[in-house]
Amino acid sequence: MVEGPGRFGLAGLLVWIASLVMQPALAAAAPLDRGAFAAALCGDGAAQTRSVESFLGIASEAESSDVAWAGTALRALLDRRLACLGETALLLDRAGAAEGVDAATGAARPAAGGRSPVLGLRQRALVETASGAAVLLTAPGVEARRTGLATLERRIAAVPEALLLRAAAAETDPGLRLSLAAVAQSAALSSADPARRLAAIRAVSEAPSGAARSRLSALKADPAYGTDPAFRATLDAALARVERAVSIGDGLAVLYNGLSFASILFMAAAGLAIIFGLMGVINLAQGEFIMIGAYATYGVQEALRRLAPAWLDSYLLVAIPVAFLASAGVGIAIEALILRHLYRRPLMSLLATWAVSLFLINGVRVAVGSQNLQFTMPSYVSGGVPLYADFVVTWNRLFAIAFAAVTLVLTLVILKRTPLGLDIRAVTQNRDMAACLGIRTRRVDRLAFGFGSGLAGLAGVALCPIYSVNPGMGANFIVDSFMVVVLGGVGTVVGTLVAALGIGGANVLIEPLYGAVAAKVIVLAGIILFLQRRPEGLFAMRRRR
Amino acid sequence: MVGFTRRGFLGTTAALAAPALIRPAWAADTVKLGCLFSSSGTMANLEGRLNHVVRMAADGINAKGGVNGRRIEVVTSDPASDWPLYAQIGRQMLQQEKVAALFGCWTSVSRKSVLPVVEQNDGLLFYPLHFEGDENSKNIVYANSPPASSVLPAVDYLMGAEGVGAKRFFMIGSDYVWPRTINKQLKAYWTSKGVPETAWREEYVPLGFSNFQTLVNQIRSFAAQPGGQPIVVLTVVGSSIPDFLREFANQGIRATDVPILGLDMVEADLEGLDTAPLVGHLNCWAYLQAAKAEANTRFLSEWAAYVKAKGVPFSADTVIDPMVSAYDSVQLWALAAAKAGSFDVPEVRKAFPGLSFADPSGYTLTMGSENNYVARGVFIGSVNEKQGFDILWQSPDAPKPVPFSPYG
Repeated sequence: MVEGPGRFGLAGLLVWIASLVMQPALAAAAPLDRGAFAAALCGDGAAQTRSVESFLGIASEAESSDVAWAGTALRALLDRRLACLGETALLLDRAGAAEGVDAATGAARPAAGGRSPVLGLRQRALVETASGAAVLLTAPGVEARRTGLATLERRIAAVPEALLLRAAAAETDPGLRLSLAAVAQSAALSSADPARRLAAIRAVSEAPSGAARSRLSALKADPAYGTDPAFRATLDAALARVERAVSIGDGLAVLYNGLSFASILFMAAAGLAIIFGLMGVINLAQGEFIMIGAYATYGVQEALRRLAPAWLDSYLLVAIPVAFLASAGVGIAIEALILRHLYRRPLMSLLATWAVSLFLINGVRVAVGSQNLQFTMPSYVSGGVPLYADFVVTWNRLFAIAFAAVTLVLTLVILKRTPLGLDIRAVTQNRDMAACLGIRTRRVDRLAFGFGSGLAGLAGVALCPIYSVNPGMGANFIVDSFMVVVLGGVGTVVGTLVAALGIGGANVLIEPLYGAVAAKVIVLAGIILFLQRRPEGLFAMRRRR
Repeated sequence: MVGFTRRGFLGTTAALAAPALIRPAWAADTVKLGCLFSSSGTMANLEGRLNHVVRMAADGINAKGGVNGRRIEVVTSDPASDWPLYAQIGRQMLQQEKVAALFGCWTSVSRKSVLPVVEQNDGLLFYPLHFEGDENSKNIVYANSPPASSVLPAVDYLMGAEGVGAKRFFMIGSDYVWPRTINKQLKAYWTSKGVPETAWREEYVPLGFSNFQTLVNQIRSFAAQPGGQPIVVLTVVGSSIPDFLREFANQGIRATDVPILGLDMVEADLEGLDTAPLVGHLNCWAYLQAAKAEANTRFLSEWAAYVKAKGVPFSADTVIDPMVSAYDSVQLWALAAAKAGSFDVPEVRKAFPGLSFADPSGYTLTMGSENNYVARGVFIGSVNEKQGFDILWQSPDAPKPVPFSPYG
C-alpha cells in the first residue's frame, strides 16, 4: 500500500483540475453541512430522500473529503451501523456496538439508547446509489471503484451526468475509464444533442438486455422517430440488434436451465440405476442416501470450521470422499442387515427400504433436528455472472453440472474399465451364469449397493448449494429418480443420462408455456405413453433371466 | 410371493404410516388440549415448533394453578403434512381423547379438512396462521389476521409513495387454496384501484417444488418490461421459500430492483441462507421477533429457557408469528374457560366476546361479539443480514378484522 496515498493524492488533484475544466462557470462548491446531513439520515423517509438526492446533486462538485465522509455515513446507514441519538448520528464499528464516533465531529461517544433506522426500499435504493457514487469518486482501490460503478449502473437514471464526468476525469485505471465512458454515453439517451443521443442508442445496444430493449422501445414514442430519418434508422438497427441478442440469451438460458435440472436428476438417479438394474431392488431409501451425503457435507464443514478454519471454503471438495463413504457405508450396512434376506421377494424389499427411509428421516430428525442446516456458501457457489444479454450463469448450478459430468465419467470408467465393473455387468446380464463362472454374486451385490448409495451421497454434496438441507429433503427426489431410471431403461448409465436430459429439458421447455404444475403432469403423461409403447425404456440392456 | 396378500400389504402400510398417531397423556382432574401440528413431512420445520409452544403456554398456565382448578394436559400428534390425516386425528382427539380444544393446522388446506370434523363434533379449533379469510365457522377461532388486516396493508404500502410505488405484480404461489384465493382477492383489489390486467402475472408451482430457475428467469424478463416498478407477491410455502430466495439472489436480483413480498415468509425460512443479498425483501405478519414490547422480551427469554430445559430440537433464538399466535390461542382459551367457569365448548364460546390479552407483539388482542376473529396489529418486516426481519412499518393500533373480503 505504499503507493496508495500517492495515487489518492493524484486522483484528488485530477478531480480538482477536472472540476476546474468541466464547470468553469460554477463558483467553488459550498461544503457539505455534515451535521445537517447526518441529522437528515436519522430523520424519516422523506428527510432521508431529500438529503441523499441533494447529495447526489452536489457530489460532482463537492470536496473529495466531504464525499468520502458522506460515503462512510451512507455505508453505515446501509449496514445499520448508524446510531441516532436525538439530532446527532454516531458511526459504529459494528451493528449494536456500545460506543461510536460522532458522524459530524469524530468525537467518541457511548451509543446507549441509540436508534438504528431501518431503510425503506425507496430510500435503500437511493442510499445504495449515493454510496456507490461516493465509492466511485473517492475509493483508493480500482476494484472498489468498479463495484461503485456497478452500483450506479443499476439505477443509472438517478445519476447526474456531471458525476460520471467527474469520475471519468479523475479515473486513473484505463479499463475502468472505458467502462465509465460507456456508462456515461448510454446515460445520455434523453440528451438534447442529437449526435450524443445517437451515440447513446448505440452504446445501449452494445450491452443488450431486456431492460435495454425497454429503454430503446420507449424512444419510439419520441417525436424525432417520426421526423429524423437518421434517428429512426439508428434506433431500428439498435432495437433489432438488442432483440436478436435477447432471444439468443433466452435460448442459452433455456439450454442452461435444462442442463442444470438434468444434472440434478442424473445425480439423484445414477445410483438408483445401478441398484435397480443389478438387483431389481426398488430402493425407496435412495433419497435418504442423498440426505446422508448432504449431512456428511455439513459435518465436514463443521469439522473444518473447528480444526482448519483457513480451509473452510474448500469444504465442498473435501466432503466428496466423506459423503461417498458415509452413504456407501450406510448402504452396505443396510444391504448386509436387511436386503440380502429379501432378494427373491421384491415387494418385501420395497417395503423394507421404505421402512429404512422412514427410520433414517426420523433418526436424523431426533439426532440433529428438523431445521434447515446452515451452510456457509463459498464464493465459487454463490451468485452468478451475466454472460450474454439476460443469460446469467449461476455458480451453484454450474458446480452441479460439472459435478454431474465428473460423476458420469467416473461411473462409466468404474463400470467399463475395472474388475468390479466387469463383475457388476456380468451379474446384471445373467446372474446365474455369472455365478457359474465363479463370480461371488453376493459380494458383487453388496459392493454394487454400496457404490449406488455412494453415488447418491455425492448427489447430496452437489445439492447443498442449491436446495435446503433438512431431514425430509430426500423425499423430493425419489419420484423423479424412478421416472428417470424407468424411462432410461433399467441398468444403463447412458440411458439414465439421456432420460435425465430429456425429462429436464422437457420440464424447462413446458414450464414457461403452461406453468410448473402442468409441466409435471405433461412430462409424467408423456413417460407413461412412451412406456406403453416401449416398456423396456430407451436403452434396454439385453439380459437373460 | 410367499404369503403376500393385498390385505397384508395394506396392514403393513398402515402400521408403517401411522406409528402411534396420538401420544395420550393420562391423568385425573386435568383438562386436555389437542395439538394438530406435523412433525414430519414438508411442514415439519415450521409446524413442529408449534407443538412445543403450546406445551410451553400450558406449563405457564399450570404453574399459576391451571384453569378452573384443573391442570392442562397437552396431547400432541403427528399428521405428517398429510392433509386428510389432520381431520382423522382431529376426530380421534375430539371423540376419544375428549380434548377441550384443538390447536392446529398451518396450511389452509389442512384447516379446510378439519373444519367439518370440528363442526360435526361441536369442537373448537384455534388456527394460528394468517390466511385467506372468506370463512367464518363458530367452531374455529381465527387467531391470526385475514387479508384485510395483513396482506392488503402491505400491498398498499408497496404501492404507495412510502414504499416503491409498485405498478406491476408477479404472483407466484404453491398450487392450493390459500395462494389462489389470496391472488384472486389481490387481482380484484388491483382492478378496483384501476390497475390494468396486463400489469400482473400469476404462476403456480406444486407443493414442495424447488427448481425455480425458469420462474426466476421469467421474473427477470417481466421486470425488464416497461410499465413501472414490478414486485413479486410470493405465496409459495414450506421448503419452497428458501429455495426460491436462493435462486432469486443468485441470479443477481436485489430487493431494490424487484422486492419480494413473502406472505408466508418467516424468520425460520431464512435459517441456512446467506441473507446479505436478500436484504430489503418484505413480509407481513401480526408479530415480528423484533417487536418492541416488554411482553416480547419476556416471551423470547421464556422460549429460550424452554428450548434449553426440554432439549427442543429447534433454534432457541428464532421466534415466528405462528408460534406467538399459538401461544396467544392457549391464553385466549384459558381466559375464556376461566370466564365461563366451564370447559364446555358452547360456554367457552359465549365467553369470547370482550376478551383481551396483551400479547408479545405489543398490541392488545381483542375478540368481538360478531365472529371468532381476533383483532391483531400489522407489521411489515424487512429482511436483514442476520437472517431476521427489521420492522419497517407497523399499524398504529389493531384494526378490526374483516372476515369476508369485498374483493374477489
